[in-house]
Amino acid sequence: MMEQPQPCCKGAQVMLNLQPTSSVSIQYHPLFGSHDDLILLELDEKLLPDVLYQRVTLRGQTDEDAVLCTKSKTYSVKFVGTSNSVLLVPPADYSTSCKNSRDCDGEDYEQQIGASVIKVAPGNMELVEVAPRLDKLKSILSENLYSSDEALEKADLDSMERSKRRLYTWDDLTNKVQASDDELRTGLQARSAVEIDGYWRIVDEKYMDLILRMLFHNSVLNDWSLDSLIEDKVVSVLESDGFPRKLAYHCLYVYGGRVEEAMDRGVWKMDARRVCVHFARGILREGKRKMESFMEEWMRMIPEEMQVSFDMLEGEVLTEKLGVETWVRVFSVSSLPSTPAERFSILFKERPKWEWKDLEPYIRDLNVPGLSSEALLLKYTRRTQPKVDAEPVFTAR
Amino acid sequence: MQIQVKCSCGAENCPEWAIIELQGVVEVQPSFQDSLQNLRIGQLCRPSSQENYTFTVGYHELTGSKVALKKPMLVLKKIKCMGTDQSDEATSSSRVELDVVGIIRHKILFKNRPKALISGPQPVVKGKANAAAAATQKQSV
Repeated sequence: MMEQPQPCCKGAQVMLNLQPTSSVSIQYHPLFGSHDDLILLELDEKLLPDVLYQRVTLRGQTDEDAVLCTKSKTYSVKFVGTSNSVLLVPPADYSTSCKNSRDCDGEDYEQQIGASVIKVAPGNMELVEVAPRLDKLKSILSENLYSSDEALEKADLDSMERSKRRLYTWDDLTNKVQASDDELRTGLQARSAVEIDGYWRIVDEKYMDLILRMLFHNSVLNDWSLDSLIEDKVVSVLESDGFPRKLAYHCLYVYGGRVEEAMDRGVWKMDARRVCVHFARGILREGKRKMESFMEEWMRMIPEEMQVSFDMLEGEVLTEKLGVETWVRVFSVSSLPSTPAERFSILFKERPKWEWKDLEPYIRDLNVPGLSSEALLLKYTRRTQPKVDAEPVFTAR
Repeated sequence: MQIQVKCSCGAENCPEWAIIELQGVVEVQPSFQDSLQNLRIGQLCRPSSQENYTFTVGYHELTGSKVALKKPMLVLKKIKCMGTDQSDEATSSSRVELDVVGIIRHKILFKNRPKALISGPQPVVKGKANAAAAATQKQSV
């Protein structure tokens, strides 16, 4: 009733194309073994082209869980075991130690009279999309802030310097940071990093302050409008004041935005929020201040024509009442961990109870693929409403 | 550290591998434990035009079917390359690469309890390996 097995066809194909009323012998492959170097990876059909066309890499240090990165997304790689026996059958011409075709045509090949099992797989890897792990980025780039000293001495960053002060090229960053290229680039932009002499640097805030105040000083002197600054003029004036060209552009980029390109000149508009946050951080650098004192100094520093208000500082400062006085201090969302569990832990350490309007700016940027902000709140906080008409209050779970 | 995922077979020519999945463990008689290679496990039969299969291992018969995987699986091979490393990581000069060696889209899945064949003809299989074959299928608890 059953046909004899076909000795001429071997491997996975014979199994998958088994014809009705046919049978095939299954045996252990001549090279059967544990083959720990053979890994099964389950992935969505839509990711297949990226992998097959060699557009993905695994990134991470040896002590970290590996992530798989496409050009724009990051996936954590997790092993899922199985209690079933998963017998892995390679195609007919597969040989793990096949150095030349002679081995394949030889005796071993003929011994496969059916489909051969090369390994019993203990499970497979699967991918879960995750937010890029960018916390490390700020800390490693902050190891060597670019300061005015460095700019002035025009340090020659040869290998001697590099060994003393750890600096990172783009390639260094892709080796160290668990994020896709696109996410890494966005992360660098968000942290106002700038590439100088091939190294990605975060500029010291005091140095940025110098440049920014010089920009404002010059705009008053030359009667420039802060809503339409001519790029060439700004950069050349700052350069003649002793600032590197690159830093002048960077200042415009960090504290302003391009308006339009008229002919081939760039026109920039200063961003009131970013400017006023910068000055607030400068005032509060040494510690908290009483509200009146802070407001008075802050308003003095901000250019006249800029419209600012205290609530532009949401997510950057916190106020607290000590006795009858209100105090202000720095508490920037950019200094907080990007993973939800750690973020909420720090927030509740800072303050056990939060009203929504105060909490929102500090969780607005949380990004967990698949979890909405409501779901995040549900997962990590307890919501109470002391009175029907009162604001809801959030506490730790 | 970055590990490149390569596909030396070429994206269009990725060979198809297959999986037989069963509950339980294929046990080998103790005298053959250390030399499993080439040992016969059993016979896979497709009785009709449907995608139903039987797998006879020793005196057990399993019934199952061919199913398409919900998500495809890639078979990757970890390769250690010796050579100079360009980056200034203070590690040894060996590099690891992953190479896609196959893709799996179907498996033959056996999820029913095996039927014990008390008596019945042993399928005749050609080849010298058969004589030494003594594999049995054991149902897991």
